[in-house]
Amino acid sequence: MASFFAWLESTRVALAVRDTLLLNAGLSGVHLIGFALTTGGALVANLNLLGVLFPGRPPIEVTRPASRGIALGLLISGATGVFLFAPRATAASVNGIFQLKMALLVTAVLFHVFVHRRVARATRHVHLSGPSAVAWSQTTQRATAIVGLLLWTGLALSGCAFILLE
Amino acid sequence: MSIHPFLEWLEATPVGVMIKESAWGFPITVAVHIMGIMLSVGTLVWFDLRLLGVSMTGYRASLMYKRLAPWMVTGFAVMFVTGLMLVTAYATAAYSNLYFRIKVSAMVLAAINAFVYHRYTERRIALWDESAAPPKGARVAGLLSICVWATVIVAGRIMSYTMF
Repeated sequence: MASFFAWLESTRVALAVRDTLLLNAGLSGVHLIGFALTTGGALVANLNLLGVLFPGRPPIEVTRPASRGIALGLLISGATGVFLFAPRATAASVNGIFQLKMALLVTAVLFHVFVHRRVARATRHVHLSGPSAVAWSQTTQRATAIVGLLLWTGLALSGCAFILLE
Repeated sequence: MSIHPFLEWLEATPVGVMIKESAWGFPITVAVHIMGIMLSVGTLVWFDLRLLGVSMTGYRASLMYKRLAPWMVTGFAVMFVTGLMLVTAYATAAYSNLYFRIKVSAMVLAAINAFVYHRYTERRIALWDESAAPPKGARVAGLLSICVWATVIVAGRIMSYTMF
């Protein structure tokens, strides 16, 4: 892996990013735009699941467009992130904060895809199954939203920490 | 009259000195500033997309604004307070930085855009509140808002690379 990172750092793209201040800074800015889109989508989806934004409406109505926003944001920040990673691949790969950021990113995305969306979708039908199912559903929704908010907030904080302490 | 004595005075204030000289003052303030941007712009973009008729079209525009506004306002308040603290600490360098000027100009444009929307376009919201395709004025406001805030973010990042 170390030799791959060394090769990545020696590519023309990595050298261009490293040696061109405005390119590096511009990529970082676009990376942050993507990240804002992602965290904004995650915030809206999780606050809604928590019952704060649009109570009384099926959560999936918000989760679905928010998921598209999260995906678009991840596409933007992922594409720019690769270019930002390339010139500092070796140092970043052994950086504890960067590793935490990547671990939180993967966990947050998997949690959103496999847990959040499933809970938001299931809640549409549960109201037909009686009061106990509704109560169970609300507890599950809130717990899912809180875990989601913690994961995305942790990701944002670790991203900030990596920028500042790198 | 030169503005430089005022900028130097700003840097010498307790806030300026704290951010500049303490080990954690700068990184913590920048981190909170970035979190404020994510909260404000991250939620604002959903209202802008509704104005554009691109997303969340099943929800009334006025309801979207009402529900998202507290989060946007909180984010903007955090962003402005921490931003002012950072400018206080590096007033001279920021004043002469091109990207700081671009960032501030874009923020002024964002404020004018918001004022025009609330003063004129929003007045007739009852006519298009539930429409999936809002009128031209609302769509222009949404598009301009997205472009201007994207400029603020990019200029802000470039500023931090070129200022120190």
